[in-house]
Amino acid sequence: MTQQAMKSGNILAAIAALTVLLFGGWSGAVIGWLLGAAAGLMACQGKKIPSPKTGIRLGSNAGLALGIWILIASLIQGLVLFPATGQSSLGVIQGLLFGGVGLVVATFAGWLMGALQGLGSKRQQATRAFLAVILITFPLIDQIARTNWTATVIQILIFALLALGLNIVVGYAGLLDLGYAAFFAIGAYTTGFLSSPQINLEWNFWLVIWIAAAVAALAGVILGAPTLRLRGDYLAIVTLGFGEIVPVVFRNLTQIQIYEPISRIFASLLGRPELAICLVGCDRPFNLTGGEAGINPIGRPTLPLIGTFQSGQYLPWYYLILLLVVFSVLMIGRLRDSRLGRAWSAIREDELAASAMGINLVQTKLLAFAMGATFSGFAGAFYGAYISAIFPSVFDFSVSVIVLCMVILGGLGNMTGVLLGCTIIMAADRLYLPQLAQVLKSILNTLVLPNVANPALRDFLATSIDPIQMRLFLFGLTLVVMMIVRPEGLVPNAERQAELRSPDEESLAEVRSQ
Amino acid sequence: MKRWQNAILYLVVIYLILLLGPVAGLDLPRIFGEIARSPASLVQQLLVGIVNGAIIAIIALGYTLVYGIIELINFAHGDLFMLGSFMSLTVVGAFGVGDGASPAASLLAVLSALLLSASLCAGLNVLTERYAYRPLRNASRLAPLISAIGVSFIFINLGLFWGGLRSFFPIMGANAASPKSFPDLLPRVDVLQALGIEANIAFTTKDLIVLVVAVVLMVGLHLFVQYTRLGKAMRATAQNREAAKIMGINVNQIIALTFLIGGALAGAAGLLVGLYNNTVVFTMGFTVGLRAFTAAVLGGIGNIIGAMLGGVLIGVLSALSDQYLSSRWTNAWVFAILVVILVFRPGGLLGENVQEKV
Repeated sequence: MTQQAMKSGNILAAIAALTVLLFGGWSGAVIGWLLGAAAGLMACQGKKIPSPKTGIRLGSNAGLALGIWILIASLIQGLVLFPATGQSSLGVIQGLLFGGVGLVVATFAGWLMGALQGLGSKRQQATRAFLAVILITFPLIDQIARTNWTATVIQILIFALLALGLNIVVGYAGLLDLGYAAFFAIGAYTTGFLSSPQINLEWNFWLVIWIAAAVAALAGVILGAPTLRLRGDYLAIVTLGFGEIVPVVFRNLTQIQIYEPISRIFASLLGRPELAICLVGCDRPFNLTGGEAGINPIGRPTLPLIGTFQSGQYLPWYYLILLLVVFSVLMIGRLRDSRLGRAWSAIREDELAASAMGINLVQTKLLAFAMGATFSGFAGAFYGAYISAIFPSVFDFSVSVIVLCMVILGGLGNMTGVLLGCTIIMAADRLYLPQLAQVLKSILNTLVLPNVANPALRDFLATSIDPIQMRLFLFGLTLVVMMIVRPEGLVPNAERQAELRSPDEESLAEVRSQ
Repeated sequence: MKRWQNAILYLVVIYLILLLGPVAGLDLPRIFGEIARSPASLVQQLLVGIVNGAIIAIIALGYTLVYGIIELINFAHGDLFMLGSFMSLTVVGAFGVGDGASPAASLLAVLSALLLSASLCAGLNVLTERYAYRPLRNASRLAPLISAIGVSFIFINLGLFWGGLRSFFPIMGANAASPKSFPDLLPRVDVLQALGIEANIAFTTKDLIVLVVAVVLMVGLHLFVQYTRLGKAMRATAQNREAAKIMGINVNQIIALTFLIGGALAGAAGLLVGLYNNTVVFTMGFTVGLRAFTAAVLGGIGNIIGAMLGGVLIGVLSALSDQYLSSRWTNAWVFAILVVILVFRPGGLLGENVQEKV
């Protein structure tokens, strides 16, 4: 156990150091605050903490160790990396200041978390309360420290909703869905139709978000119904097919003109085409989805005291999506423990046995699709309103795979794991890779390129070394490596782990398919 | 009573298709009108579809071989084919042959491209099998499928990277992600005119060469699988891996061989697509790959003849859809076919329907 804690502690330290190296400035303090609490929690994980004192010792030690790494990284950043990229040296004093504050904050966070772990029976509630405080105060701290991470965190939370929803379908019910982005698209486009000038409906966001979720759930049932009889990999392909069809449909519903067919046939037989009864798009073809250009603008939510949410002000958006995610976590937790949730895990383990036990397979599977789609409907509605514009290209296959990647990385069927996987992947994709690209670019431009004589090599270095262009590679590698090394994910669900690791799974599968 | 209900149901479905079909290009009166006006263009599209379908069939064979032997939907196969076409483009670029180069130079370039592209894809496929799929052979069925999706992403990214290497391969053009033009190396002599047939249909030596190469590859594969010792070992492994092992077949080697053959076919298809369509792009592995997979499923996955039949059918259907429905909707129609087949006849046209039993 201690070894495990050491290992996770090292990973946290590496993340913190990397953050400081890439972002510099006060990022050390922010990451120290977040990861210090995590380190404190991990140090106390699985141990009996008799009194707050023990917890404080463990927690502040972990926080301090993390803080030292932040300090070292801060000094390297200020003294070596910063000047290397052409900026003037920050000097020892500033490096010490940034790093020192990071160290203090990390230690304090670890101390606080440790102290809370020693509260005995109230341990869990206290931890949750602390977590809530961290989440609620995050945008304020972010603003004070000028790290500008709130926009990214909003994106992370949108994908967290998607990952939570997909986790119901894949993790709980065991139905591999490769077209999950379709429901995201349906939620977003529903919002687009109902609250934009596109078809002259400008309904209130607070109503539309529920309609979007309901429409997505309905789509889940409609698309799920034909797949009910299919086995695992065929199911995956059919959902993939749907996932491809939906964006094509949204992309192409730009010139709709519908005639009543019987009247049209008679009209053409009589040679008088004007007799055909026109139903939709009579004067000019009706543009439903805006094609490649998408739907723009989409109405934003309004609240009494705050007024309409503005695009540059992240605070209201952050709290809204945070609320949605927390609500979803609570709801999915209840669902998982309900009769329905247990029926899901039963059909995941063995469909035939489950059906013999009286579980209605059709109903249970359709509900899994519907519930999974509901949460991506929420995510889609929020996304549409937040970006205020939607395009069909946002909802392609890679989104489905990235969300699947999150679920698998974190741990199929485990919400903590899924949220963790989502945070890791989105933070890497939206925060660290772009920043890494920028840092690499400035290092290349100032240090490497002037010293390269060969023009072809120069051109290659200037154009092809781009971490952002490697994101698909990294996702793919994550999937492949995870499947080999740790197929059950970072935070596994116990049952799922046994299932994926079981050596005679193959014989089991064979027995099932014969 | 039941009969009436069914009849009414069919009528409703037909009415709905007539009502909503035109939105997605399926406007039957207009289509029949166009066909009646120029039957030649129907024949033309059939020919285009058959040639394209032959290429799709070669890729579909890769899916079907792998599925037949280890029941894995090798998601990365389409992207492997894309890498093959990038390899071909690179080789052709290295030979410096452009549009209208001399036949000898073109032939040399094309043959080298075929060799290198097939070897690259075969090698990559074997490596993938060794390091990504073999460790998962005893895991649950979904693990290798997810792994294959991962490999597919890695390949797509490799293609993007390769396409950006303009400093080493000028033929890649300025932009990494944009479609690259593939030199037109095949002669374009009108076959019908040479035979003395007067028709408003273009069928050139280019189409003929692609078709012949594809057919030769398919027939060769069929003969190999049916009549050689290794082919027999492949079929035995596909039928029952354990029993094959007991009979002294080195199952791992046979599976690697299957990936080798599938990869080589993908490489050849990559070259053919480049030569035939004269454009390659790093995303085509996904779209063409899904079409090929649809073809494999349509014919009955695991069935070699089925994959060929399915490939030609999908090629013809998409050519017809491009011409008569709308090219924007072709992908949706192809996937709709995929969904309908999987739902109503998962065994495909030539496969048997396997019922799940306890």
